[in-house]
Amino acid sequence: MKNILKRKYFISLLMLIITSLGFSQAKKPTIMIVPSDVWCTNNGYMMEYDNQGTKVKIPDYKRAFQENAELLLVTAKLSELMAEREFPLESMEGALKTLASESAEDALLTSKTGAGISESPIDKLKKTAKADIWMQVTWTINQIGPKKSITFILQGLDAYTNKQVAGASGTGNELIGATLQVMLQTAVLSHLDNFNVQLMAFKEDMFINGREIIIRIKKFESWDGDLEKEYDGKELNTIIEEWLTKNTVQGRFSTVESTENMMLFKQVRIPMYNEAGTAIDARGFCKELQNYLKKPPFAITNKLMMKGLGESSIVLGDK
Amino acid sequence: MKDFLKKSSIMFLVIIGFTLTVNGQSKKKADKATEDWRYEIDAVQTGTQGTYLVKVWSYSKKPEVAIDQAKKNAVHGIIFKGFTGTQSVPGQKPLTNNVNLEVEKEDFFRPFFADGGKYMKFVSLSNDGAVAAGDRMKVGKEYKIGVIVSVNVSALRKDLENASVIKSLNSGF
Repeated sequence: MKNILKRKYFISLLMLIITSLGFSQAKKPTIMIVPSDVWCTNNGYMMEYDNQGTKVKIPDYKRAFQENAELLLVTAKLSELMAEREFPLESMEGALKTLASESAEDALLTSKTGAGISESPIDKLKKTAKADIWMQVTWTINQIGPKKSITFILQGLDAYTNKQVAGASGTGNELIGATLQVMLQTAVLSHLDNFNVQLMAFKEDMFINGREIIIRIKKFESWDGDLEKEYDGKELNTIIEEWLTKNTVQGRFSTVESTENMMLFKQVRIPMYNEAGTAIDARGFCKELQNYLKKPPFAITNKLMMKGLGESSIVLGDK
Repeated sequence: MKDFLKKSSIMFLVIIGFTLTVNGQSKKKADKATEDWRYEIDAVQTGTQGTYLVKVWSYSKKPEVAIDQAKKNAVHGIIFKGFTGTQSVPGQKPLTNNVNLEVEKEDFFRPFFADGGKYMKFVSLSNDGAVAAGDRMKVGKEYKIGVIVSVNVSALRKDLENASVIKSLNSGF
């Protein structure tokens, strides 16, 4: 009996260790290839959308992927090479299909959340695709007489901050008679390794200094309190800043704006794991702040909203 | 007659011994030059899947030693040094961004770069090591020789990743 208990205890302990090891793995950033706005404009893949009365031009990715064979070639080659490096890329076509099927739900969700935050179709795509890094490709064909060359630009954009975290670019040899496909393939092969070196440096920085996000704190008009309301002799805005100092990596964040009605924090470096060792992302991090504000002595009802992947807003005073 | 034969044999052995010693010393000097980063790499072509084609400039008193050392220098350079590009061929950064890697992982690199070491698996001479007339220069007492070499960089990177010498893009996740 004693032996059975001992064995059971041992197995439970082993399972606990395996589970916690599984959870402690950081979330692998996902990468998705997108053609740049410049490329989409040059090749006629733009569409207009109505942003609260203003006509805005945005890339029509769906049509570009359906109609352009060169884009497909570049995407396929980059995907193949990244898979070789054990870093498979997310398919944009799949994300677009998911977005199309969920568009009705999204519309409903926007009307429910009210006017607090507005998302463009690109923000919605970023949220649906959940890619951490956007691999943006641009190429232009240069022609002088019979000679042709390709200028190829590869940019890695952090979906959380829209900052460029990796890049490689250059113009290939001037060739006569070479097909565009061969020139594009050569360009991809020539630039990807340098791109990956910078991507690696970004990844290492992320592990050391944390992931960068933006946080906004706002208040509903219906709430009788504000960010200058005092709790135990401290203003709410100071309490929030203290929480961020304690929970960000090495207390890194910058307060860009702070008024009685709103606060804006940029360059907020959130850890890859929480205190329990579980991998977290921007939403998980802000959820912890949301819960902190919900608890006494503050007991503030609040709403957490995400814009894209790396921008979150906590609106105080209501749901 | 017997004496002449004896003398000839001794002379022959001395010459052989001397040649081997000189060759050995040249090889050692060439290895020292590699360790001291005394070589140059120019980009030739990088747009082929998995390989870099580079021209390696090596120094030695003996042209054949310099040609042979080019292979070692190419792999050494691609791991630790990288190379600059030309107007139409982009240069490449080294496989590691750790500047002290060769010291930190000396146990790995010592046998790796030994004569006939594993580095040979990832490199081959282009055109059987034929050197163009303009790529053979006499600099002081030495020769500076440029040889075009092909390095299987994807296999080399994989091998270093598997040996935990460099981190993979996937590591940490």
